[in-house]
Amino acid sequence: MSQGLVDDTAADAALGLARPVEPGPGSSGTARRVDARRVLRFVVRRPGLLLSVLVLVLVVLASFWPGLFTSRDPLAGVPSQNFRGPSGAHWFGTDELGRDVFSRVVHGAQLSLKATLIAVAVAFVVGSLIGLIAGFVGRWIDDVLMRFVDVLLSIPALFLSLALVTALGYGTVKVAVAVGIASVASFARVTRAEVLRVRQAVFVEASRSCGARWYSVLGRHVLPNAAGPVIVLATLDFGSSILAVSALSFLGYGAPPPAPEWGTLISDGRNYLANAWWLTALPGLAIAATVLATNRIARALDGEWSRQS
Amino acid sequence: MRAHPDIRPTRWTALAALLTTSVLLTACGSGGGGSDSGGGQARSGGTLTFAVGSDAGCVDPQQVASNDTIYSVRQIVDSLTDQDPATGKIVPWLAKSWDISSDATTFTFHLRSGVTFSDGSKLTAQVVKDNFDAVPKLGALGTLAEGYLSGVKSTTVVDPLTVKVTFQQPNAQFLQATSTHSLGIESSASAKKSPQEKCSQGVVGSGPFVLKQYVQNQSITLAKRTGYAWGSSRWTKSGEAYLDKVVFKVVPEAGVRAGSLQSGQVDAISSVGKANEAALKGGQVTLQRRANPGVVFGLAFNNSRPVLKDARVRQAIGFAIDRKQIADTVFPTGTQPATSILAHTTPDYADLSSDLTTDAAKAKSLLDAAGWKAGSDGIRTKDGKKLSLTVDWIPNSATNQPALELIQQQLKAVGVGLTLKQVQVTQLTPTLQSGDYDAVWSNVTRADPDILRSSFSTELANFYRLPTTPLDTALTGQAATTDATKRSQLVEQAQQLIVRNAYDVPVVELQTQIGVAKKVHNLNFDASSRIQLHDTWIG
Amino acid sequence: MRRYAIKRLAQAVGVLWAAYTVSFLVLDFLPGDPVTAMASAGMDSGTVDPAQLAALRHEYGFDKPILVQYADYLGRAVRGDFGDSVSTGRPVSSTLADALPQTLQLTGAALLLAVLLGGGLAVVATYTSRRWLRQLLLSLPPLGVSVPTFWVGLLLVESFSFRLHWFPAFGNDGLRGLVLPALTLAIPTGAQVAQVLAKSLLTALDQAYVETARAKGAGRWRVHLRHALRNASLPALTVVGLLVGQLIAGSVVVETVFSRDGLGRVTAAAVTAQDIPLVQGVVVFGALIFVLTNLLVDLVYPLLDPRIVVASGRKAVAV
Repeated sequence: MSQGLVDDTAADAALGLARPVEPGPGSSGTARRVDARRVLRFVVRRPGLLLSVLVLVLVVLASFWPGLFTSRDPLAGVPSQNFRGPSGAHWFGTDELGRDVFSRVVHGAQLSLKATLIAVAVAFVVGSLIGLIAGFVGRWIDDVLMRFVDVLLSIPALFLSLALVTALGYGTVKVAVAVGIASVASFARVTRAEVLRVRQAVFVEASRSCGARWYSVLGRHVLPNAAGPVIVLATLDFGSSILAVSALSFLGYGAPPPAPEWGTLISDGRNYLANAWWLTALPGLAIAATVLATNRIARALDGEWSRQS
Repeated sequence: MRAHPDIRPTRWTALAALLTTSVLLTACGSGGGGSDSGGGQARSGGTLTFAVGSDAGCVDPQQVASNDTIYSVRQIVDSLTDQDPATGKIVPWLAKSWDISSDATTFTFHLRSGVTFSDGSKLTAQVVKDNFDAVPKLGALGTLAEGYLSGVKSTTVVDPLTVKVTFQQPNAQFLQATSTHSLGIESSASAKKSPQEKCSQGVVGSGPFVLKQYVQNQSITLAKRTGYAWGSSRWTKSGEAYLDKVVFKVVPEAGVRAGSLQSGQVDAISSVGKANEAALKGGQVTLQRRANPGVVFGLAFNNSRPVLKDARVRQAIGFAIDRKQIADTVFPTGTQPATSILAHTTPDYADLSSDLTTDAAKAKSLLDAAGWKAGSDGIRTKDGKKLSLTVDWIPNSATNQPALELIQQQLKAVGVGLTLKQVQVTQLTPTLQSGDYDAVWSNVTRADPDILRSSFSTELANFYRLPTTPLDTALTGQAATTDATKRSQLVEQAQQLIVRNAYDVPVVELQTQIGVAKKVHNLNFDASSRIQLHDTWIG
Repeated sequence: MRRYAIKRLAQAVGVLWAAYTVSFLVLDFLPGDPVTAMASAGMDSGTVDPAQLAALRHEYGFDKPILVQYADYLGRAVRGDFGDSVSTGRPVSSTLADALPQTLQLTGAALLLAVLLGGGLAVVATYTSRRWLRQLLLSLPPLGVSVPTFWVGLLLVESFSFRLHWFPAFGNDGLRGLVLPALTLAIPTGAQVAQVLAKSLLTALDQAYVETARAKGAGRWRVHLRHALRNASLPALTVVGLLVGQLIAGSVVVETVFSRDGLGRVTAAAVTAQDIPLVQGVVVFGALIFVLTNLLVDLVYPLLDPRIVVASGRKAVAV
């Protein structure tokens, strides 16, 4: 089963990889076909990237099937065995109530990843929609929407998220929405820029002059071609959203205990910084590794792939 | 070592004596206390930095009920009397003597002369009257102080240095109440301010320290009161305090507090849980602990909630909790599981440990009998409703969250869901007042069993929304009687009623544990396990 | 030049007004009832005393039509009055003003560190001819932007305060107390500076004038610093506004980690207490900092790069 998932992920990635550089039917260059061998060769030449994909696959697996990694209960432990350091029995040690920290990190992946996906989805959908409308409709609507986006950009993202949390209240989903809305602006900008670029491309002009309807132009030409950079941005945003979501749950605005959100784990561990370093250090490592992996993949999607012919 | 001898006998003999005679005590230090008084010559000067975990959002001693903030604001005011932590005896402070009528309805205090507040005004009988007249109007935050003065008929000025407090019924607890920070005496000008103003701007007292600066959620700075010469008869040093300055810093994380004490960045820290004991032991740190008298930590229910109106549900929760596991895992070494609603160091405590057993089978059968059937996800249901409660708690101690998470696990094992909701220290009282809660994790420290009346009488604040029951009779009765034996019986009866009806499920006694650098001397606990800094010096 | 300045100033004011409006919409409008939110502070459902609610609503003017409220608030905000904090009762503006110096100290030190470390890294990485060193150095910035700041801060406390006793673990005491928080805050920002600068340095080194300088016999180091760096740092200047905003916002986390007094901790406490006026003040203040920094950069930029003056000058005239 896991093997199948690896393939799926690779294939998905490949699709995503191909688009940003695939020239529209009318622009210069030739369409490239994606084949699994090429993807494989590309990845194998970059051990860092390979490792990143592996880390991400593991994190995704953990969030859907935590049982694959640990059979211990993340919510209940043996209180008499608290504060045990990392060992063979407890890879990440145990916490103040004797719960297995590794199991908590694994099960926490679900909460943190869910929050991150919601955040990216909110930013992606809302941002792209704004950008699309602005770019495609143009005129005063473009002006109004883009000034609005400028304003969103002028407020530091964390402040905007905090304001939203203040208004919405606490909880994993609310934090996720707050983080998502705070990164709407960058999606709107990139989408708009792409839409404008593609719109002016010769083939789009051509199809319009041939009398194609606006929605068919949008659906057939503009959307598929503008998608590339937006997907790269989404991957990048995934990493920064993990950081933002965990920062907010670190500050205490996430799910209530005993939910093992990653940020919450670190914040709880702070109370025992003087006697149990592993409670803060190891969950943090999980966050850092995941973010590093997604950023590395985003970089590959963005630059290296396109440079490779 | 039993650091906390049962103070009952001495305290009550003392009170019995006080009730009939006027006592005049000259200053005599009791010398009892935690930190060692040795280590060379005591010297004046220096700054003590004390890291506490939370801020109550208020710097009025009459309104603050949270230990972390009492530590600092206690130093600003003096009280009429003081209580010896070793014997429970009430000794002179601002009042050099007092008379109590034989029916305990009239208390006459003879004030010391020459006492001034830090704004220059003099301590007179009128000032005490202004204070006691203002206390009943303090509002929600002043519940403790209001409780002490409940039933007060009048406070009258007999002469400039004699003040008389008259109650409608006998009020046996009042003398001890005058020794608490809650009835600390503030200047007339302060007493006349609104409770909010006193909270945010602080008050003027006659205490050994004055409030220099208060930054909410960050720090409270005290400076030595120069010319101070009216310390409690219990204190060893006469005149001014040793320390020039005391800075209380709010450092929410117990781990950071512990690490900073180790590295010498701070001189003392509050609320040391079990987790940090090992790291602090040895080296340049002494751990001082003292059990707090009063109502123990527990789940105080909102007894008006439909689910919680059923005594079987409340009792089941009580039987589901493993008190020993919680005390042993989370709390400082030596902490005792609750054996009554009162801590064992409270006068008239009754051992009810046979009612406070852990019995999951009994808990389950009680819940079955109440109609709560096991649900698919492990949480019981009745008529499609889940047996799920929310407990509100404040982050004023590092032990609160882990203790509640353990309770959460233990309750889940019998099919009761518990959600933890952290509220800010400043938000707790409004929450209790609004009644919008299922249960709160709370305790109240006081070295007098009358704290049961403050907490559970339906005639006072009744935060826990108890129905009117015979419990009221017992609570009112114990406050009104002057007969020590009879009072003891009534207090025991009240404890039984509370524990057996599980209006509040007692869990664990609070044992205050503070970490103090070895260079700090005479940082002593008072009778309520809070600190007194007049005698403290750094050397 | 003057018309250009005036135009930029007008734009800045416009952005501020809009930022205020956005914060108003989010905080006072979105949840439907800020008063219930305030009175029940952080709870999911509020069944608070209706009379108390009505009184609060009246006190804060929430019983007026939304546009009237908005006009009221905006009018006061223009005069620097953001109302009183709900939890402390103190004016928002003075609460922020009191907390600001500490945070400016922190963010200033962090910015300095970020520029020195990030800039230094970019210069050395692009200068060195050792492949391994370059690879190593260039792999650091991606790492820097991937680690959670609160985690880095805690690791620093654990090692440098608790184990080595070199620096205090919390508080605002002097220069020593500033080291760890500033370093923590500087890491993600420094990494971004390094990324931007390294990229533009590489571009600059390919330019014709570098070739010219080299041909004239200038030393490698001199070419690198005098010619390439000077030109490459101009594009980096444009992100300074963004970075300063980030640093100010980052103080929320860093000041919490190090229990430091300042704007960040005030903000965190305000959010926890659902102190809407205070949160709004912080949001608008964040936008103000962003706008001011950008304004400053825009006005300084032409002085540094003569080409820009001509271009924008023309533009300004043309408009």
